[in-house]
Amino acid sequence: MLFCGIDLGSRNVKVAIMEHNKIIKTAAFDTINFYRNHAVKRNQQLYIDFSSLDIPNCDRVVSTGYGKLTVKLAGADAIAEIKAHYLGAVHQCGLDDFTLLDLGGQDSKIIKIAGGKMVDFVTNDKCAASSGRYLENMAGVLGINLEQLSKYYENPVELSSTCAVFGESELIGKIVEGYSMEELAAGVNYTIFKRIQPLLHKIGYNPLVFVGGVAKNTALTEILKKELGASVIIPLLPQYNGAIGCCVYAFNIQQSH
Amino acid sequence: MRKIGITTTVPSEIIFAAGAVPLDLNNIFITDPSPNHYVEIAELAGYPRNLCGWIKGIYGVAVENKIHEIVAATQGDCSNTHALMETLHLKGVQIIPFAFPYDRDRDMLMLQLNKFMNYMGVGWLEVDAWREKLQRIRRLVWELDRLTWESNQVTGFENHLWQVSCSDFNGDPEAFYHELKGFLKEVKMRKPLKEQVRLGFMGVPPIFTDLYQYIEKIGARVVFNEIQRQFTMPFEVRELVDQYLLYTYPYHAFARLEDLQIEIKKRQLDGIIHYTQSFCFRQIEDLIYREKINVPILTLEGDRPGLLDARSRMRIDAFVEMLR
Ligand code: SF4
Repeated sequence: MLFCGIDLGSRNVKVAIMEHNKIIKTAAFDTINFYRNHAVKRNQQLYIDFSSLDIPNCDRVVSTGYGKLTVKLAGADAIAEIKAHYLGAVHQCGLDDFTLLDLGGQDSKIIKIAGGKMVDFVTNDKCAASSGRYLENMAGVLGINLEQLSKYYENPVELSSTCAVFGESELIGKIVEGYSMEELAAGVNYTIFKRIQPLLHKIGYNPLVFVGGVAKNTALTEILKKELGASVIIPLLPQYNGAIGCCVYAFNIQQSH
Repeated sequence: MRKIGITTTVPSEIIFAAGAVPLDLNNIFITDPSPNHYVEIAELAGYPRNLCGWIKGIYGVAVENKIHEIVAATQGDCSNTHALMETLHLKGVQIIPFAFPYDRDRDMLMLQLNKFMNYMGVGWLEVDAWREKLQRIRRLVWELDRLTWESNQVTGFENHLWQVSCSDFNGDPEAFYHELKGFLKEVKMRKPLKEQVRLGFMGVPPIFTDLYQYIEKIGARVVFNEIQRQFTMPFEVRELVDQYLLYTYPYHAFARLEDLQIEIKKRQLDGIIHYTQSFCFRQIEDLIYREKINVPILTLEGDRPGLLDARSRMRIDAFVEMLR
């Protein structure tokens, strides 16, 4: 049996395919491209052209993400994002007690899991300052790519602005003051940590499972370990965690029938 | 008829005794078909964008509806009230100050009541008579509250609406009483509602217009509205001053906490939604409640009037899912 999980994110649409409790394939598409070229809307429902995406026909499709609220995927069940992430993380890391940190394209979530159950969560407010989008913008200002940006965490410059837009002008100010690219990049990575630190304190954080696109930022992982003194676990497919959670949900339903 | 604008629950007994009617400006604001236009009036006048939507709405209502006299809760409600009243004063509105003493001091509150009565030109005899009249209505609203959580025949929104209306009794206590009696008769015939998840709502009334309905749509129900219930003054006391001393809203967070703890137990709540307004000082108090309350809390924030946004819906979904 094949299960398909689709995470309709703000920047990317992520797809995971599961066969008998094992993930066998993943794929990511640019969100705008995805809607424009691979989907059509008919009678308030979204039909996806799976063959054009090179995705096999699945027995059950489950979706999550922002898209789930505005469009209904034809023939799919929809689940809340927080639930998808929690299921995905439990599946990926096999733990029962941990805190899940999900930093995605535009938002951040922190979910506490105890005894294999979700017991508390917080999400960021209407602000993109600790998201992947913010990192992209800041890398752009520094003239480097995301991969380079995510290498530095030592000697960070102090950046105080917590706003994604004003952060840019502050960064430019620091460039003018003559700081090195390494110090600037480290400073940017540190701002992410400072944004989520109070949220982590609210919920607790040991061990911390880190997922979402931003989990690819190794500098941030180092900062989290160093500042929190916690063990930080990054599962195999951090950016597909939500999609995997959808597969797990589909699998569970099938099992219970 | 002389109309006295109010911005929060103040001793309406005194206003009625003077032959005037209280007019809750919040209710006019939020029940308007296009409430945002009131916010815009305030912003055009120069109110900052990053300020509470309720304050701006009240300003717009007062200006557009040409309210001449307004009671200002200068202590115990909202610090923004000061500037609100000053800007309304500029527009020629007569401001009647009323302060709930921070330390819940009985003598101080008595003094405030006396000053208010002097201003309105009434004595204790009339005020006490009106207290009796309103008490009769309040008791009915308490019964409605009981039918919400105990016999489960009233929805969260109905509970909210009737209780919140006790600030001014819709300007006509007699009509309110009869309408409520009819309503109670009708709900008592209903089959008990069966939502799985029982929620409490704490904080100022929500600026979202579909919150209660949405919660019920996903299989939960609000069976406790904290502040709205306080507006009904659910206490049998002999004197007006005691009634307004027991009322928790205008005093500190810990008074509210005590009341909350009792009701959480009694009503068997699975979780609480703590609603606060964007840019409101009450957001700070969230940390107290999170530390002291031992059922899960979802903190929800609203800015402008209207339907729930996608992000808040997602958070409510996840919260209810978690409690199930
Ligand atoms: S919501 Fe807060 S800021 Fe707004 S009027 Fe009420 S107390 Fe004041």
